Amino acid sequence: MNEQPGPVLYEILRNRLVSVTEEMRIALQSVSGSPTVTEATDFFTGLYVPDGSFATMGFQVAHEAPVVGGLIRHLTSSGRTPIRAGDMFIGNDPYVAALHQNDVQMACPIFVGDEVVAWAGVMAHETDLGGMNFASWCPGATEVFQEGLRIPAVKLVDRGEVREDVVDFILAASRLPTALGLDLRAFIATLNVATARITDLVSRYGAPMISATLHRMIDESEAALRERLRQLPDAVVHVRDFLEHDGHSNALYTVDLALTKRGDAITMDFSGSSLQAPGFINATRPGLQGGITGALLPAVGFGIAWNEGLLRPITVVAPDGLICTAQYPAPVGSATVETIWTVTNVVHRALSLLLACSPPHAHRAQGVSSGTMATFNMGGTNQYGERFGLHLLDPLAGGSGAYAGRDGVNAGGPPAVPMPAIADVESNEQASPLLYLYRRLRADSGGAGAARGGLSAEVALTVHGIEGAEALVMTHGAEVPNSTGIFGGRPGSTVRQRIGVQAVAGTRLPAEGPPDDVTDLPGEWRELGPKPGSLPMRAGDVFAVRWQGGGGYGDPLSRDPDAVAADVSDRLVSRSAATAVYGVAFDGDGRVDDRATRALRRRVRAGRLGAEPTAEPRPDATGHPIGPGLRLLAEDGEWVVRSSAGAELARGGTAWRAGATSRRVDPSELGIDLHEQLIMTEWLCPLSGESLAVDVHRVGAAPLEELMLEELMPEELMPEDMLLDL
Amino acid sequence: MRFTVGTDVGGTFTDLWAIAEDGRQAVIKVPSTADIIGGIEAATREAAALFGLPVARFCGAIERFGHGTTAGLNALLTGRAARAGLITTAGFGDTLEIGRMKRQVAGLGELEVGDYLQRNRWAPLVPRRLVREVPERIDRTGRVLLALDERAAEQAIASLAAERVQAVAICTLWSVANPVHEDRLAELVRAALPEVFVVVSHEAAATVGEYARMSTTVADAALGPVVSTYLAALDERLVTLGLRRPVLVMTGSGGVVGAAEVGRHPVAALMSGPAAGVIVCRDIATDLGYDRVLTIDVGGTSFDVGTVVDGAAVMRSQVTVAGADVHHPAIDVATIGAGGGSIAGVRGGALAVGPASAGADPGPACYGRGGTLPTATDADLVLGVFAEDSFAGGLKVDRAAAEHAIATHVGEPLGLDLLDAAWGIRAVLDSRMADLLRSVTIERGHDPAEFVMFANGGQGPSHAWALCQQLGIATFVVTPTATVQSALGTGVSEIRQTSGRPSYVRLAADATATEQQLAVLRTAGTQVRDDVVARLGDGPVSVALSVAVRYRGQAHHLDVALPDGPLDVAGLGTSLRAFETDYESLYGAGAGFGGAGFELLSVRAIGSRPGAGENSARPADPIVREGDREVVFDDPAVPFTCAVYRTGFPAPGQQVDGPALICFPGQTLVIPPGGRARTDRRGNVVVTIPVEAEKR
Repeated sequence: MNEQPGPVLYEILRNRLVSVTEEMRIALQSVSGSPTVTEATDFFTGLYVPDGSFATMGFQVAHEAPVVGGLIRHLTSSGRTPIRAGDMFIGNDPYVAALHQNDVQMACPIFVGDEVVAWAGVMAHETDLGGMNFASWCPGATEVFQEGLRIPAVKLVDRGEVREDVVDFILAASRLPTALGLDLRAFIATLNVATARITDLVSRYGAPMISATLHRMIDESEAALRERLRQLPDAVVHVRDFLEHDGHSNALYTVDLALTKRGDAITMDFSGSSLQAPGFINATRPGLQGGITGALLPAVGFGIAWNEGLLRPITVVAPDGLICTAQYPAPVGSATVETIWTVTNVVHRALSLLLACSPPHAHRAQGVSSGTMATFNMGGTNQYGERFGLHLLDPLAGGSGAYAGRDGVNAGGPPAVPMPAIADVESNEQASPLLYLYRRLRADSGGAGAARGGLSAEVALTVHGIEGAEALVMTHGAEVPNSTGIFGGRPGSTVRQRIGVQAVAGTRLPAEGPPDDVTDLPGEWRELGPKPGSLPMRAGDVFAVRWQGGGGYGDPLSRDPDAVAADVSDRLVSRSAATAVYGVAFDGDGRVDDRATRALRRRVRAGRLGAEPTAEPRPDATGHPIGPGLRLLAEDGEWVVRSSAGAELARGGTAWRAGATSRRVDPSELGIDLHEQLIMTEWLCPLSGESLAVDVHRVGAAPLEELMLEELMPEELMPEDMLLDL
Repeated sequence: MRFTVGTDVGGTFTDLWAIAEDGRQAVIKVPSTADIIGGIEAATREAAALFGLPVARFCGAIERFGHGTTAGLNALLTGRAARAGLITTAGFGDTLEIGRMKRQVAGLGELEVGDYLQRNRWAPLVPRRLVREVPERIDRTGRVLLALDERAAEQAIASLAAERVQAVAICTLWSVANPVHEDRLAELVRAALPEVFVVVSHEAAATVGEYARMSTTVADAALGPVVSTYLAALDERLVTLGLRRPVLVMTGSGGVVGAAEVGRHPVAALMSGPAAGVIVCRDIATDLGYDRVLTIDVGGTSFDVGTVVDGAAVMRSQVTVAGADVHHPAIDVATIGAGGGSIAGVRGGALAVGPASAGADPGPACYGRGGTLPTATDADLVLGVFAEDSFAGGLKVDRAAAEHAIATHVGEPLGLDLLDAAWGIRAVLDSRMADLLRSVTIERGHDPAEFVMFANGGQGPSHAWALCQQLGIATFVVTPTATVQSALGTGVSEIRQTSGRPSYVRLAADATATEQQLAVLRTAGTQVRDDVVARLGDGPVSVALSVAVRYRGQAHHLDVALPDGPLDVAGLGTSLRAFETDYESLYGAGAGFGGAGFELLSVRAIGSRPGAGENSARPADPIVREGDREVVFDDPAVPFTCAVYRTGFPAPGQQVDGPALICFPGQTLVIPPGGRARTDRRGNVVVTIPVEAEKR
């Protein structure tokens, strides 16, 4: 680009382009007829440069940002379809560029003369595109052909004319053609807004200026991220997360990430992940890219404009045929909430471990947030006698992970959704034949820690005003604690899905209000496990679900006892957990008994070690902190890792687990259900019994030494009191 | 001699406008005081002095005393609201905490949203430990599924009493479909705790959707005691000064009501100041024959925009304040953090201005109160828009400090010389304000070039020309009272009451309502009409009914007028056609999708009694030339030598050609090169500027 905007015009144009993206959101939300878009936030808008890089994005589903770019690249590189002014393209094929079939996206080129100056893109989750089961999530699918309609990259608007024949063709595949039809109009309106605004800007400032601004926005974000990466240590971080049940059997799958950060670049290697599954939980390569983006942007992109520039320092290594790089024709219908979500978890965790070692950023290290999204869809005939389909967004309301010194947000949700929203209970009851018994926070669901993970919400509901309907229920994380803690913080609770047949028969609600334990209601209660799939529900049947709380940060025994007491009085933590997990003793009036608390905490540490502790944790111990309980020191010219109480755990490197004491953790006291192939191991300071990490790993496989530091941040960037003399 | 007085209290200044029977006016700005009332008293005394009367005689001669305040808003923003408890349906006590997941990101800007450590800036208005659940349940049709457990209710009330709450908010699910449980709970609370302030949600915010309804109810509860106390104290002080009339308080819906009513429902007055300014401008515009108006108010920290379309101020039903969604029909005032105090700096190699503001303390660098960062006001001083002696309240400013701040924090980092840097600050600020003006017009399907701008606030008259140029607006109006426009509004606005009721009706694509559905709408219409008539009291009133409509499945509704008289199928059809027309003008031809059918959500009545009546102002001041000054307009390399004029309430028929500055007390009107200003019969300055219609 020879023409560049000056600093003033650049800021003006940048603001305008951000406003245009916001206008696209407003247009989409205004015209859409899907509650997932209008009342909740399962959608995306963005502006792209001609090579498919995103320059701006709305703050809804961050997973989607690079994927529309893939659609654009497919169109521009195949050369099979003429691309003309006024054209708009639609696509949802995960084997071309999509997360899964429900995420229908459209893109249009914005022409100036014969040149494309930019592309606009939009996506929304559509409740049904056909396939074996209502809602197009098909637990029984063995091939992608059995799932929803795939639209590779099809021209829906040809030089300004809507191809109504193609619209009819697409709507014919859906069980909910009216909602889908309204959303296709909304997509077109959204792209029209973008085209009109960009064309306006071009006529005022010229295409080269607009193009230069879009590219510069991307370049600046890249430069800012590279600068930030230089402030993080060079290291290899190796983390794993798991997901259970592929729709056919309760098999356990691994997403394995070896992240290497050197200088201002990162390589993410997923080669250690499981091979692709026979069922619908797989992700294709665009899904892997989306999953990475969903964690990368919030974890290290804070304070930087979010665009493709943040992806440029990242190299991804992943052979074909893994669960995150599934090959045609593997089924992928639930990719977003299964493998993509799990990819986000591992990237978030690995980056948090890196942040923890960088003094300027250590306060941003975070437990994993809302590591799953349970799905509840329902279809049938509603209370108004119309065919309906519901894709409940309430399950976004899991807990967010804790930061150092800062509790996670209750019902804060996952990292990939920067501006989440769910519908009111009353809105849901008005639009759909539902009756909620409760929508509330679940006490003790937040991962325990010095800083507590955010609580998950939970709901119980029945169908109301109709005789019955067909639900589709599925999740991962019912037997895997995906929302892991960090530095001894506990994972948040696992998902629990239950149904009580005729629990409120005749809509006879419990006179004393909904019980704390929903199975205290009458009726026949049954655990549903991770993926019951299709589930008929009759009026009076109660479906109850709670999601994952956020991961905790640091040893719960070092949480301020007064903060624990406040949690108890706010009913966020039960009295029994306050004592058993946090080691806080109360006097007769419910106030913290400091002396008894100190004694109790020591007893708990003794219980962990199986012996009396010989030292106390020392939060003020010197050295370069790696979380609250570990210190990196330089002794005799080599690195030594010690616990805060002074125990030497590693020498010549940071593989500190070798020197720590381990014990198996009983998951039941943490509200966690474990898959038969998983166990939890806690790592302790051998002197004090301070908790240093809680690992979730396969039976028979050793836990990973997650953090292998190679180089702390460059000396010239390091605060002086943190310098290690080697 | 009789007087009409309006007052408006902002964070920096307390404004007062007064007019005497003979048409003489007073425009007064004094520094706000922490107790608010002190500033009002000071302004009142100053006004009395200006009219040459002892304060007791002046106050005794006041026929109408209007008041707008941000007392409630400030209490919310600074966490000084009353200690309120909440009683709700068992199973839903965490509604505020969960906050539709939206509460955690409320109030965050573009770059803050991506920084999750910024989340949860606002705690729920009622903490979890003051929420009580009682067994009861009503469904969407209003059917009682579980009767209210009165014993549990009494226990809940007793335990809130033990927490020494000053107010109790009551919000149960579907109370808007059937208020029986909320009403009974209110009876129980009043019987047990007669001193406590009680609010029920179906009265505070008669809308479906429990989060906004509950937020509004607890905001009313938390503010009620604070606002009631404040208004009683204000009344007492004014009575002591000699006032004989009751204080009328401005509400967000663009009219005034009695102080007692605001004490009962304080969220109605949360955003009253900006609304008052919009209403005044609408009235002046109607008088001048303009029916499409953008009103801007540029103050120290915020930029507020109101819109008038076809002679009516655009309304909205909800606003987010201090993290809480508050449901109350009000004049739609869009706002961003941009004003004279906005701080300029370099971010990512580019020049950024705001949203951080230096406020009044320390204020812009040129104030010499310890501020070292450059602000938009510093830039205007350097560009020649303001002189060192042209600031409100006789403040003397330091030009050298402004120059130093701009050079240090903007000029040197970006390699720009002083004038280029100062011009850049203004250009970036103006472009942010222009973006907001675009969004309130273009996003609603209007062409900004068809609007006339009314420029208010201390800095509106000096920025209007640049905003008009960017938007292709050819005419802007500056009134002699622009700097106290909101105060004027509280003095002259009509008395206005609104009332709404949910009335859920679902229609198929053919839009034919059954007799039963029509009855639902008629009943709601009668209720809301009777409600506003009763609250307006005796005297001539007018009432307009509207219905909220959306396409089935959509979330956004539009309010369209309901015909007068008994509602029938044909009358409803007229309203639905109006909805479709409005919808297409908003979202483009073909965006409507009648095939989806319609949902009618609620019926609303707006009732009013006329305000102060004909404006009797008799402006007679000349516009006097005082000298010349160099001012930068579009090109920092080519400053213009501008004639500088001074006036107060200019007589009709005067003309000034640009480039020129007209200094009024508290405001400076900038006329760009090629622009021309004329005064109309009321002393308003109508400025026309040459514009190239924005290419779109």
